[in-house]
Amino acid sequence: MKPGRLQFRRFRTRLVCLLLGLVAAMLGTVYLLISSANERNAIEHIDQNLKIGARLFQKNLDERIDYLSGSAKVMSNDYQIRKLIMQDPLDRETLRSNLDSYADRLRFNAKALPPVITLFSPEREILALSIRNQRLDREHLGPFQDLIRLAADADMEKASGYSYLGGKLHVLVVVPLYAPYPNIAGWFGLAYPIDQAFADSIKNTTLLELTFASNAAEPDHRILSSTLPPRTAHEILALRPTGNNAAGTSQIVLLQGEPYVTLFQPLDLLEEAPATIALQRSLHTELAPARALEKTVLGISLAALAAAALAAVWIARGVSQPLLQLAAHTKVVATGDYTKPITLPRTDEFGQLATAFNQMTAGLAERDRVRDLLGKVVSPEIATQLLRSDLQLGGEEREVTILFCDLRNFTGMSEQMNPIDVLSLLNRYLDRMSTIIERHGGVIDKYIGDAIMALFGAPVSDPAAPGKAIAAAREMARALQGLNREFATEGRPTLAFGIGINTARVVAGNMGSRTRLNYTVIGDGVNLASRLESLTKDPAYDTPIIISEATLRSLLNPPLVRELGEVQVKGKAAAVKIYALGAKGESQPPYPVS
Amino acid sequence: MRACLIPLLFAGCLGLTVRAAEGVRIIVRTTLDGKPVADAVVSATPLDHPVPTPGPGNTAEIEQKNQEFSPYVTVIQVGGKVIFPNHDTVQHHIYSLSKPKRFEIPLYQAGASESVVFDRPGIVAIGCNIHDWMVAYIAVVPTPFFAKTDDTGAATLPSLSPGRYRLEIWHPRAAAPVVQEISSAPENATVLEVKVALKPDKRIRRAPTGKGTDY
Repeated sequence: MKPGRLQFRRFRTRLVCLLLGLVAAMLGTVYLLISSANERNAIEHIDQNLKIGARLFQKNLDERIDYLSGSAKVMSNDYQIRKLIMQDPLDRETLRSNLDSYADRLRFNAKALPPVITLFSPEREILALSIRNQRLDREHLGPFQDLIRLAADADMEKASGYSYLGGKLHVLVVVPLYAPYPNIAGWFGLAYPIDQAFADSIKNTTLLELTFASNAAEPDHRILSSTLPPRTAHEILALRPTGNNAAGTSQIVLLQGEPYVTLFQPLDLLEEAPATIALQRSLHTELAPARALEKTVLGISLAALAAAALAAVWIARGVSQPLLQLAAHTKVVATGDYTKPITLPRTDEFGQLATAFNQMTAGLAERDRVRDLLGKVVSPEIATQLLRSDLQLGGEEREVTILFCDLRNFTGMSEQMNPIDVLSLLNRYLDRMSTIIERHGGVIDKYIGDAIMALFGAPVSDPAAPGKAIAAAREMARALQGLNREFATEGRPTLAFGIGINTARVVAGNMGSRTRLNYTVIGDGVNLASRLESLTKDPAYDTPIIISEATLRSLLNPPLVRELGEVQVKGKAAAVKIYALGAKGESQPPYPVS
Repeated sequence: MRACLIPLLFAGCLGLTVRAAEGVRIIVRTTLDGKPVADAVVSATPLDHPVPTPGPGNTAEIEQKNQEFSPYVTVIQVGGKVIFPNHDTVQHHIYSLSKPKRFEIPLYQAGASESVVFDRPGIVAIGCNIHDWMVAYIAVVPTPFFAKTDDTGAATLPSLSPGRYRLEIWHPRAAAPVVQEISSAPENATVLEVKVALKPDKRIRRAPTGKGTDY
């Protein structure tokens, strides 16, 4: 097999591969389509969720701002606060503790940290600061003062913004203390950390990962808080060195090798470079249900593939098994064994083929049997000729050498013997003679009692036929001597024959009725051969073998002959010259002349 | 901040001379559209001679009626006393967080009357802890020469003896007080027009209650 090209010698393998290939290709395509559609949907879904998450994040912050400013408003109208501010000198410690108790009241929820609450004079001087659970100092309060300046200049009743307080990201709100409205007697500054807890609460509602990072331009570029594990979150810093990605479009980033669909949003800070909010969702997590489905699909596909494999093997076997059986049986039949029919117990095309095959085998067996029998009944050449050609009446004219051989006085001899001995003797003689004739290419036309009629040059024409007939006759004469010696030692009577050979154009072919045919030749030439055989009985000729002039002329290498004279042939105007083989006495008289 | 008159800038000071004998008439208008400004406080502080000490009549009254302070703006000389009679059917709790005078008059019954002495100059905004919409202003000025504009924006100072005066015009909605220097002389013009920039009125609007005031 050449490398790179698959070739399957066996039909079964080819069929299995083809079926499996088709099924696998189809299942593979379906699987890939499902998989890619799932991924596309997941990204789209995450993208939508990220946008919703971003809005929810903003809404959450707005809610905190509203909550804080609303609380500050209530606070500013509180009598105690006013009473404390009224005191001169200011009792800062009491004021702070009052703010502390407010801070506890203003927890966003049970888990949330209390907000930072500050009180400033109209001149933005810090009066009191509640920093429960917060690491804050007075020097961290600059952002509040910036915001108050902003609000005072624009005559706003509330101002909010985002900033770092003590290094942590906060949402800030400032609200004036009106005493009475619209006279500003001070400013409340409230702040709420945008921290891990805040991120976690957003994650709880949206299932999104939230990370806050400081601006990349800052020397202390860092993760402020994140719902991701610290190592994973840290990789976000490296993602955005410029911090200037197009806002509003999500992108896929790799964190710890895991793909996250990510939406970066800037968070503008007071007097500082904007921080970054990264909203993310792991593609793996989003795809998990789809992947489970894909696994099921994959399982089903593999099962289908296995089933297809089994089916393919079964089908292939169904096809190849009978073929192999037929092929093996063909080999058996080719060796000539027609005894066993092939057994395929099925009704499909293979069953029909097997039946046809059996019929064919039966036909072949029949033909072989016929041929065998024919070979025995007629000579092999005639049998072949009969089998080869369409069996039909009629014949053709051709030149044939006819040899007639007849035993002398056999009728008288057989009367003195019992019939079984006669038949045995005769068969032995005929067998010996027939063998010689056939060896010389002659064809036994028929046995007529103790006489043999043989043809040379028919049914297969042969220019050397006359010579072969002469050679056969000579050997027959010698063989008869040998046979007679055997008979003599056995105490049996000896035999003598005469042979007439004539060459003539005769009609050769199948003769007889439509149901029973004989391949034979007819014509005057046949009669002449028979006549010549009869002439050997005439002691005057003193020869057992007489050939006609036509035969002599046909010989390629004419032998030494002795002309016997002319004989008048019945129905022919001209006399026919006849010859004995060799000089007189060349051959012993074949029989004792009585 | 509009609450303080003391750290005044003498910006845009004009050496105007007014006739002292008949008193000085001042008309206050808005810079934006020239409309007359009511409730503007006009005061003239002598620069060339000592400020006369206030007489026994240095008192004012701010009543509480229909859950409002009346009048809206009151002017007194430093050391003056303001009486707060409650002519209402409900209790009030007057307070001020303004620097010149931080005080409170805790809940007091209708018909009762309380008084407070204002001993430092400046603007005192007063409110009520019970009624957020109640607001009134007391301008405590360091001179007996003061007046408040009427609905036509006009105010007349009492006759001034000749000399230089620091004229100051303040209004609750003024972004900053307007300060001028004037000279008082018998032969000079008597009417002076001053423009002040006013911020939007931000007082709380009460929902109409039927017996409420006209705003």
